[in-house]
Amino acid sequence: MVDAASLTLGGGLEVLLSRKLDRLSPGELLEVHSDDPSIEHDLRAWARFTANEWKGMRVENGRFVCSIRRGTSQRIITTDPSTWLEAKRETGFAPRGAIVEKGSPEFPFDVLSAGEASNPEARELYERAISSQWNAATDIAWNALPAADPEIEQCVCQLMTFLAENEFAALYVPAKWIPRIHPHFVETIMFLSTQIGDEARHIEVFVKRALANGSGLQFSSASTERSLKTLLDREDFLEASFLLSVLGEGTFLDLLRFIEAHAPDPVTADIARRARLDEARHVQFSLAHMKHAIDSDSSLRQKLAAAARERASSLAEVRTVNPLVEESLIVLAAGGLNPLTLPKAVRAVRGLYDTMHENRIKRLQLIGFSSGESEALSESHTPNFM
Amino acid sequence: MSKRIEVGAVAYDPKVVTIWEMINDYFRARGIASDYVLFSNYEAQVEALLRGAIDIAWNTNLAYVRVVRRTNGRCKVLAMRDTDVEFTTVLIAGTGAGINKIADLKGKRVAFGSRDSGQAAILPAYFLSTNGIDVQKDISLTRFDLDVGKHGDTGTSEVAVLAAVTKGEADAGAVGDQYWGRALAQGGVDRTKVKAIWTSPPYCHCNFTVLEERYGKDLEAWTEAILEMDYNNPGHRPIMDMEGLKRWVRPQLAGYKPLFEAVEAVGYFNASS
Repeated sequence: MVDAASLTLGGGLEVLLSRKLDRLSPGELLEVHSDDPSIEHDLRAWARFTANEWKGMRVENGRFVCSIRRGTSQRIITTDPSTWLEAKRETGFAPRGAIVEKGSPEFPFDVLSAGEASNPEARELYERAISSQWNAATDIAWNALPAADPEIEQCVCQLMTFLAENEFAALYVPAKWIPRIHPHFVETIMFLSTQIGDEARHIEVFVKRALANGSGLQFSSASTERSLKTLLDREDFLEASFLLSVLGEGTFLDLLRFIEAHAPDPVTADIARRARLDEARHVQFSLAHMKHAIDSDSSLRQKLAAAARERASSLAEVRTVNPLVEESLIVLAAGGLNPLTLPKAVRAVRGLYDTMHENRIKRLQLIGFSSGESEALSESHTPNFM
Repeated sequence: MSKRIEVGAVAYDPKVVTIWEMINDYFRARGIASDYVLFSNYEAQVEALLRGAIDIAWNTNLAYVRVVRRTNGRCKVLAMRDTDVEFTTVLIAGTGAGINKIADLKGKRVAFGSRDSGQAAILPAYFLSTNGIDVQKDISLTRFDLDVGKHGDTGTSEVAVLAAVTKGEADAGAVGDQYWGRALAQGGVDRTKVKAIWTSPPYCHCNFTVLEERYGKDLEAWTEAILEMDYNNPGHRPIMDMEGLKRWVRPQLAGYKPLFEAVEAVGYFNASS
């Protein structure tokens, strides 16, 4: 029994009745007590329209009592909710654990296995990411930027140009993979979304720095672009993440630390530091991701190593980093084109390359590569850093 | 595979193509070659059925009555929608028009839909007369003759009837219960201005009509296949939602009696052809 008071169809009665009828089994009767004198005609039409059976009306104590027999059609076709705890293409965008109606379309997700997509540290790293956001416009003390030596400023701007183009790759690669990863792996998706947000902010802050003090954006080399394009071209999620984050972003941590240490002004040092802290999170995510994947399938090690070798051979002609980038690092470290300080600066940059190599080896070993494999893989990494 | 079965349908809306493409796929999956032939109006479709140009006509009740008359009853109904059984006409009235029963319509302005709409014109005229109202003398009748030839399928004339009553341009009007039920459910009725005052006896609406001489095993297999369509099957549901049914059913021919009587009483075929 449901008391409909003076509710009318279109004014809420349809909601009340639909929800009551849903709880009945086909064939069961629903009695509707109403004070609306038109209810007989309205409800009769509505019952037929909704494939329920009108069973007539009587007047009882001055009220209208209508009977409707629940029809056989289900409003929503569902199966046992427990069957939807796997990443199935037809569960689409339904949040994991939701009851999904049958007949939903298939989605083109192709990263469907936990081994490939899940990451035990994703939750915690997502939390850390959202509490570590900063604003490239207001959190940087832009007015602390001093008048610059044009030679050094041009080098800073060359490095900013290079960093920004690399960050575009670091934005596009996860952005390419998110639509292919099943929403079942929501923690991974959410973390990668923060990574995209981080990279957008880095692009903003690096470009702002390049434009802030006179020199503006500098050169983008064909070899850098060729190297970055191989990351976007990769058609395997684990391989793409491995190349981008373990090897590329990992190497960038040392690069950013170097820029911070030799920055000619506090603003450049601050943005290098902030970017590095974000990148460190991406690297940590990727290390946990790879370790989890390799732990569940050790043959992946060979697959990832093969991907790295394949990338190296396709970039065989890229023998050095963009020379303007390397020179800029040296000029920064030398504090200008000073013959007295340049030799030490050259050594510092060579030392940076050695540090990058050593740290890559450590990261590779951390996720399960032997020291020999790690050494060889790090050796073959692109001189473009990313 | 036997000869392809051609089903006539009237293209009252672009969605008709979508519906019938889906129905073609449905039959193809069951090894039955069925295709559709579209007409712009029911009269042309009936003529095509009579001359054997199509095997089955997806007819309105009025088109079915025409076939029965033209063939002297030598025709057969294969199936109909659950929604075609127990169709009714609802009389609606302005809440301020002082109309609470049929007798109150005397001297009032009453709106009907297209003259070839069974539910919104032919049957209401008949039902009013059987309830003591002479449509010619007792009321001031406005007809919304929209989409004539489509037998009310487009619903435009029922929209016009409801709008006229809502705006007070008519005191009362006639619409089909399917239109009324849908308009109510979608919040399309201002119940402070319009109310339902009467529901007609039930009658039947559309059906798949065939000529008796054409009926055979292939059409029976076609009928059995369509009866298997299941609203609780997600693959079938889109077709059924678009065509407005939950279940295909065997014919219930007694339900056409009111319309046969109505077309006689109002002289429909004498006037229109």
